[in-house]
Amino acid sequence: MELVQLESATCTGARELRAIDSIGFYTLNVRILALAEKQQLPLLTICNTCTLNVLDAHAAFVSDNALARDVNARLSVEGLSYSGRTRISHFLWMLYEDIGEDELRRRVVQPLAGLTVAAFYGCHITRPPSRYGFVDSRNNIALEKLAVILGCEPIDYSGRTECCGFHTAAHDERISLKLSGQHIASAKANGAKTMVTPCPLCHTILDGFQREIEKDSGVDLNMPILHLPQLVGLALGMTPEELGVDQHIIPFPPLPSIKTLPA
Amino acid sequence: MRVLDALNHIAEYDAPDLAYRWFCGSKMCGSCAIRMNGREVLACWEAAVPDMTIEPLRNLPVIRDLVVDRTPYERRVVAFEPWLERSAPYLGFPEPLLHKDIKNASKALDCISCMACYSACPVIRLGDLTDFAGPAPLVQLGQTALDPRNDPAKVRRALERSGIFNCVSCYKCEEVCPAGIPIVSQVIEPLKAKAAELLPAMATHPRVFRSIVASRGRIDPGALVLHIQGWRALTRIPRLFRMLFRGKINPLRTLVGTRTGAANAAKRVLSRNDAPT
Ligand code: SF4
Ligand code: SF4
Ligand code: FES
Repeated sequence: MELVQLESATCTGARELRAIDSIGFYTLNVRILALAEKQQLPLLTICNTCTLNVLDAHAAFVSDNALARDVNARLSVEGLSYSGRTRISHFLWMLYEDIGEDELRRRVVQPLAGLTVAAFYGCHITRPPSRYGFVDSRNNIALEKLAVILGCEPIDYSGRTECCGFHTAAHDERISLKLSGQHIASAKANGAKTMVTPCPLCHTILDGFQREIEKDSGVDLNMPILHLPQLVGLALGMTPEELGVDQHIIPFPPLPSIKTLPA
Repeated sequence: MRVLDALNHIAEYDAPDLAYRWFCGSKMCGSCAIRMNGREVLACWEAAVPDMTIEPLRNLPVIRDLVVDRTPYERRVVAFEPWLERSAPYLGFPEPLLHKDIKNASKALDCISCMACYSACPVIRLGDLTDFAGPAPLVQLGQTALDPRNDPAKVRRALERSGIFNCVSCYKCEEVCPAGIPIVSQVIEPLKAKAAELLPAMATHPRVFRSIVASRGRIDPGALVLHIQGWRALTRIPRLFRMLFRGKINPLRTLVGTRTGAANAAKRVLSRNDAPT
């Protein structure tokens, strides 16, 4: 599998753009889909919210002719147009749908034995139900199954499919501190040594805000948080340094089974 | 067998004093919502399962057993002045009203006021931390505020009290809504757009976000926090240093991030004058 970066791809607008400028939101997102379509490539994202944004834009585009015409007229300025054919995927789905469980299992060279991990899905990879088809988002066990393939042990806790609060954090952090504080505390109480998330926005709160969360709740958490690609990379034999694990606010402790770069 | 049949059986044979509400038995009155195995459901619609833990809804005071006090919700709705008030005289029948102008309000009108969403909302669960009205009251507000015939001054008064930008967009409400209302995308987001139009100061965060994407193509977290929080951003200095130290933020990019292909594309797309500024 080869990754091609869409150099001129923009931000998908998070939650902000879609709320106040819907045509701007649709145009930016359909533009990204059109860039991929032009190269006849499926689109891969590593972010829950980006995934939902392009999925929503695609769904609106294919169901609303007037919108589709308007968006394509706006894109024609740079010679782009979308016909609705781009396949949208997320890193987590790609592992299952394009690599496959068996192939992944074969490639695990460093099983993460002894690592108890709390899977934190976040919201936009399982909700709204209309996009994903779950009756209850908690029925999703993709991350836990993956953890087992990678040799670690998933734990159950109350925060699995809850919200980190990211989308209000830029103007008021209190909601995210409280919500994420509960989730990390629950993961810890249930024996997790680390948490893993398929969403970099969740990671920003869980890791980047964790010192503030500790201050807010008065509880020492010290819970390392990994991006999903990092957990996979470790098991596939990459070093923590190659994966940027050392860039987190909460240090990821060296595991006996994991090699580091020679000094 | 439905959960309601199980409750009726219990009330008939085991616990005649069991307090629970139901009326229509057919997903219309909204009075029978409860939590079953940790999820909000209508007792009259949900199939019973062998292992059931049944609890009252959350986020509302429990009166007895499964009966909750709906007063907090009703107070909120009344404060929104939930009726239509024309600002222009009635033009007579047929009134020019396009489907696209009324479709969001009409989705909101599907609400049966069951409070399932209110019970599922994590921000409401945080109590007085914010002034957030919560999903059910906002859906009630949407029925009139998203109707183009309504007086904008009244809509503005209601939105001012809604705390709407405290919604974290988690879709927990949509997941449990038995009426299938797209609460976030067809009620809360259109209401946010109304707020941005009628009360620009309330929507500083999304407007700043938009202008950063419009000039850079991407979001620069430093610029975002600085523009939204102003002097309050100073209190974030410890985190700033932690992030700098770990190489998570790059001040250099904050300075030069406006000349990329993505930035040019975003400028083109978002600078059209038919979009809000
Ligand atoms: S999307 Fe908003 S209203 Fe709905 S449950 Fe989440 S925070 Fe509450
Ligand atoms: S929006 Fe849906 S879940 Fe909320 S009160 Fe109305 S019908 Fe019930
Ligand atoms: S009894 Fe009326 S909705 Fe369930």
